[in-house]
Amino acid sequence: MRKLSFIIGAVIFAVFLPTFADMYLIHVASSIMIFMCLALSWDMMLRTGQLSFGTAGFFGLGAYAAIIAVDDFSVSPVMSIFIGAIFAALIALGLGVAVLRLREMYFAITTLALTSVFMVLARNLSNLTGGAAGKILFHAIFDGDPKKIYWLILSFAIVVIALSEVFERTRIKYAISSIRNDELVAKSCGINIFKYLLFVFIITSAIQGAAGAIYAQQYAFVEPESTFSSNFLLLPVAMALVGGIYSTPGPIVGAIVLGFASEYLKLLMPYGHLIIYGIIIILTIIFLRKGVYGTILDKVRSK
Amino acid sequence: MKILRLENLTKNFGGLIAVNNVNIELQEGEILGIIGPNGAGKTTLTNLVAGTLEVSSGKIFFQDSDITNLPAHLRVRIGISRTFQTVRPLKDFTALENVVVGALFAKGESLSQARESAYKVCRFLKLERVDSYPDKLTVFELKKLEIARAIVCNPKVLFLDEVMAGLNFEEMKQMIQIVKSLKDEGMTICVIEHVMSVISELTDRVVVLDRGEVIAEGPYLEVSKNKRVIAAYLGEED
Repeated sequence: MRKLSFIIGAVIFAVFLPTFADMYLIHVASSIMIFMCLALSWDMMLRTGQLSFGTAGFFGLGAYAAIIAVDDFSVSPVMSIFIGAIFAALIALGLGVAVLRLREMYFAITTLALTSVFMVLARNLSNLTGGAAGKILFHAIFDGDPKKIYWLILSFAIVVIALSEVFERTRIKYAISSIRNDELVAKSCGINIFKYLLFVFIITSAIQGAAGAIYAQQYAFVEPESTFSSNFLLLPVAMALVGGIYSTPGPIVGAIVLGFASEYLKLLMPYGHLIIYGIIIILTIIFLRKGVYGTILDKVRSK
Repeated sequence: MKILRLENLTKNFGGLIAVNNVNIELQEGEILGIIGPNGAGKTTLTNLVAGTLEVSSGKIFFQDSDITNLPAHLRVRIGISRTFQTVRPLKDFTALENVVVGALFAKGESLSQARESAYKVCRFLKLERVDSYPDKLTVFELKKLEIARAIVCNPKVLFLDEVMAGLNFEEMKQMIQIVKSLKDEGMTICVIEHVMSVISELTDRVVVLDRGEVIAEGPYLEVSKNKRVIAAYLGEED
């Protein structure tokens, strides 16, 4: 009951935040939620035991798909977010059939390589993507109103959190945790391993694509180097690790902690803040092996 | 009536022939023992039947349909279950949840049905600490967990790969009762075992494997006097 009232309280707070917060905070909160969704999607794939480094790649695909849809095909901005998600999902379906036969390091490296391939394609298909110069969005979503964009991102975040909980509470959890623990046993219990891996790969890629599409709408600009930037992989991974993997609250806590820490550090020391940021990540991984949320959970349980 | 038939089954790993041209028939309702010295190919045979290894040549028939190329996760759904020689519990799940996995995916039950079936199976096996994680369970409990996860799938044929290993005398007696009661439930059982007293008490018939080949077949008492079998276990005299 206490948990439920906390969740309701948090949602109400998040919904009404733009009515009292200043522009700066609204902007920071929006960006933290985008990264939070990426962190959750990365963790959802990790729950199957597969370490994906393709997060930035599908993020970029979604961003490009959304901008091209609006600029060249006159799709409405809100619709373009779905296009970003669907495009990323379709690419994941096509590639997943091949890369999901790989495991561990080989899967990780291949997904990382895919990101570079997407970036090279974006740079060279200049008719469609604007090449190295990038592409500008002519009609910003909601005429660039930050509050409306905030609410859009909040709704997206709620959908992603709900999806992550579906992964935790239904038979999907039993399938993917079994696959992570022992594929031989999973098979012997009747689990179609490939089907589940492909399903999770598609869903998480769609989330990453949608996140990219929203990001592109928010900044009205895509460009190969920055849209496929490794930030969209490394920050979410760090957030999930700091918060705690294999859970919904973990990546959320991690995104909030690291998101605000990086903003605060930026103000405190404009140049060296990434060093401190890196040290925070290293220290949590060494001393809080299960992340902030995981450690708190262990403390509560052992009492 | 025969329920499972292995026809000229062969498996080689590179140059090593683990299972060589094996023909075995399993009659419905019987307990068949598979014995043989270490490295005879007993576990490989289990893996071939369960579908976790691909056969090199030969065929496997289950209830007269050819399942040689059927993927492992579908074999358990049509009724072939197995336990693992070294216990393989899913460590992030409690004992009960381990069993739930089988009911969910092999039988396609809903979450609440699966939990119900899992409880029932655990009660049947007298596996009491169902909410414990595997690292807190004893060897005997882990062996029961292996069996629970296999039988919750409602198998017609059950392969038990050395379920007695590591058990003390008292536990072994209980395990023998469990296997007998599974037979009474109507399962056809294939016991792979090193403990001969267990084999003699449980099985209707045994097959002896040596270096991947069937060297003898028949009731245990008969087979245990077979010269080739004795030679395989003890080594030949020059």
